[in-house]
Amino acid sequence: MDTIRLYFRSMKMLLRSHLQYPASFILQLCSQAVMLGGELLAVLLIIDRFDSLNQWSGGDLLFFFGVMSVTFYIMECFARGVTSFGPLVQKGTLDIFLLRPRGVLTQVICYQLDPRRLTAILVGVAAMVMGGRQSNVTWTALKALALAEAIVFGGLVVLGLFFIEAMFSVRSVKSIEVVNALTYGGRSACQYPIDIYPEPLKILFTAVAPFALTIHLPVSYILGKNLFGWPDAAAFLCPLAGGAFFLIMYVLLQFALRYYRSTGS
Amino acid sequence: MPYIHVEQLNKTFVLRKRREKGRLFREKTLVHALNDVSFDIGRGELVGYIGPNGAGKSTTVKILSGILTPESGDVTVGGMVPWKERKNHVRRIGVVFGQRMQLWWDVPILDSFNLLRDIYRIPEQDYQKRLRELTDALELGDLLRTPLRLMSLGQRMRSELCGSLLHRPEILFLDEPTIGLDAVSKLALRDFLRQENRQNGTTILLTTHDMEDIAALCPRVMVLGHGKKLYDGALPELLSRYDTLRVMTVRYGMDTPLPELPECCRAERDGDGYKITYAPAEIPTAQLLHILQAAGDIRELTAQPQNVDHLIAAMYRELDL
Amino acid sequence: MIKSYFSAFRMRWKMETQYRGAALGGILCQIFFGLILVALYRALYAGRPQTLPLSAVVSYVWIQQCCFRIVTSAESGILDSVMTGQIAYELCRPLNLYGYYFVRDMAYKIVGCGMRAFPMLVFAILLPEGWGISAPASLPGFVLMLLALFLGLLCACALDNICMAATMKTLDNRGVASMLNLLALSLSGNILPLTLFPDSWQKVITLLPYAQMLDAPIRLYTGEWAVAAAPRVLLVQGVWAVLLIAFGAFLWRQNLRRVIVQGG
Repeated sequence: MDTIRLYFRSMKMLLRSHLQYPASFILQLCSQAVMLGGELLAVLLIIDRFDSLNQWSGGDLLFFFGVMSVTFYIMECFARGVTSFGPLVQKGTLDIFLLRPRGVLTQVICYQLDPRRLTAILVGVAAMVMGGRQSNVTWTALKALALAEAIVFGGLVVLGLFFIEAMFSVRSVKSIEVVNALTYGGRSACQYPIDIYPEPLKILFTAVAPFALTIHLPVSYILGKNLFGWPDAAAFLCPLAGGAFFLIMYVLLQFALRYYRSTGS
Repeated sequence: MPYIHVEQLNKTFVLRKRREKGRLFREKTLVHALNDVSFDIGRGELVGYIGPNGAGKSTTVKILSGILTPESGDVTVGGMVPWKERKNHVRRIGVVFGQRMQLWWDVPILDSFNLLRDIYRIPEQDYQKRLRELTDALELGDLLRTPLRLMSLGQRMRSELCGSLLHRPEILFLDEPTIGLDAVSKLALRDFLRQENRQNGTTILLTTHDMEDIAALCPRVMVLGHGKKLYDGALPELLSRYDTLRVMTVRYGMDTPLPELPECCRAERDGDGYKITYAPAEIPTAQLLHILQAAGDIRELTAQPQNVDHLIAAMYRELDL
Repeated sequence: MIKSYFSAFRMRWKMETQYRGAALGGILCQIFFGLILVALYRALYAGRPQTLPLSAVVSYVWIQQCCFRIVTSAESGILDSVMTGQIAYELCRPLNLYGYYFVRDMAYKIVGCGMRAFPMLVFAILLPEGWGISAPASLPGFVLMLLALFLGLLCACALDNICMAATMKTLDNRGVASMLNLLALSLSGNILPLTLFPDSWQKVITLLPYAQMLDAPIRLYTGEWAVAAAPRVLLVQGVWAVLLIAFGAFLWRQNLRRVIVQGG
């Protein structure tokens, strides 16, 4: 509870620090919206030209895009900080964090919360609402639960990917681009339903970075379609895999941090 | 049991060299940052910790503050092993790095302090009282609403110090706190540290290259070189060991030639006077003075010990550091 | 003068070769993105084939990925030097600053691109039919594409320099720069190939400066623009290059007249 309070206090302070340069901050808020807006436009233009993709209608695609964006940018906003372990090690800021009676992870995340991403989340929500309307989704309690699960567990997968980046960045800042492929590539790829991809990509995003299980299954359920032909219960059980993925990455990151503490920089 | 107890501390770093062409693996070299270092520090002591760059000073501080885990050796600080109980341990320590800021750059320092209050879970009443104490002593009252980036170096250092002391640490580690400060700020900072040490009984370990800091503040110095402890004791005693040469300048009223001096003295002309370098061990100062006085009317005479920095440099040289 | 321009290239070359690991990471990343995009367009085409053949879109994607560096904005080092006031040192040097930064940016793009494009092209050629890059539509088309690529590079560097001048003016490297960067990414076809934009939009978009950087050369390569249309394409590119360079140089002269040196 106390940690969450610290989280919000930090957010408030970072906001204040951004507001020291109000014009720049507003521009950055806009640019975040424009950035995701550009991608949204791409989806809309694709729908305009191609109408549908396999079994998915235009509205479905928008909805997929919206859920993925909301999930991703919530994490980007609240937890992107973990991937900056490398620069923090270099600048020695990590030492300062270790000198405080709080978890290092908490502090690193608090240090780099990113309030600018809020507008991107809003664009994602807009896409979700638009897509839901076009696909005539009738909301039920179960569908709301599925959506919540998608966002929470999908978010945990994103966080797990961030953790991988963090581990890499402790070792060397330059190697991070490879992992970036998985994080941003995962987002780009999985804003479209998984069944359009060839086997290797399907396996990658099901068994390794399980976006298909955490986001695509529950979203298909919401849209009234069946992704893999599994029973409906799968839409509620499979997202839990995201929790497992997160836990594994969390443990690995803890090991990496212990390694840092015994080797120094 | 002394407050800080360090025994046979060892820490080795593996340095990876750049891979050379034609080699499959990078060469590794081991660097012994600390080599069987032992010392005890009592509660409320003010200890200076000196040594050339790379001697292992910051490694020691990092281990004492729980950031690094050593290979072997016993360390207890107030009954705790720092790296085993990091969170509990760091609650009691404060660290100031001269070249590294822990406060946030763009926001008023008061906001930074408030966040530190939350991080250290300082009760509100305590916090307000302590903040008032510190802002008074450090003259930060008018600056609380100023962001760090708009402050002078001296103001920044005072703010950092305030931030590190808010949670009333029992031990304060200072790493080159006076680096880059002007003379006035330095003196003020030293006064503050002395006061903090006396009033609150804060144990202070001061790492620095500025010998004036040590001379002014620390009754006890430890010298580290190549990962080994070379000296532990009072500064004057250390200096007297290496203080082999002294300089005396003398100027006579009229054009009096310099008298015949014993062989162990070296004299050179310095403006319209003479500069004499001698070793008190070979010729007592009083005897030299006597010879000089006998030669004629002395208009001006100054005797000065060699600069402290020179002495330390001489010492490092002698110890081949 | 010319010598200092050469040294900008040499320095960039040294830097890039030093970070081979990063380049390799970048290549893998770009290939991964390329594969995802190709998979997406293949699936889309399977549902509803278009007049433009799939192979052209796939080639578009691969060239785009290979030359990604051309579109992204200037190396952060230059912007940083503007922000931190480092530029004060550069001002002390007997150089035409606009030219100097232009060449530095060009070195960044050419060297960075060259190192990454070659292995990626090899990969894209080795991919199975329908996944990899196809041969250029015609030999003259290929030669014209190289020419267009050079003009596109000039446009890209000129745009970067305008962006830098704006940064210098506002002393804010995040707001303005990121906004312009986004504009570049969408309008240069990086998010969605411009050839897949609605046909009516394309009439306008292909005339904008952003389309000159990569879109025009790629279309000459895939043959979407016939050799016969090449003079018009190259003319549009050339006009933009001249206009953008002139505008950028003008902005720089303005800026330098009232030198603001930040920091210090």
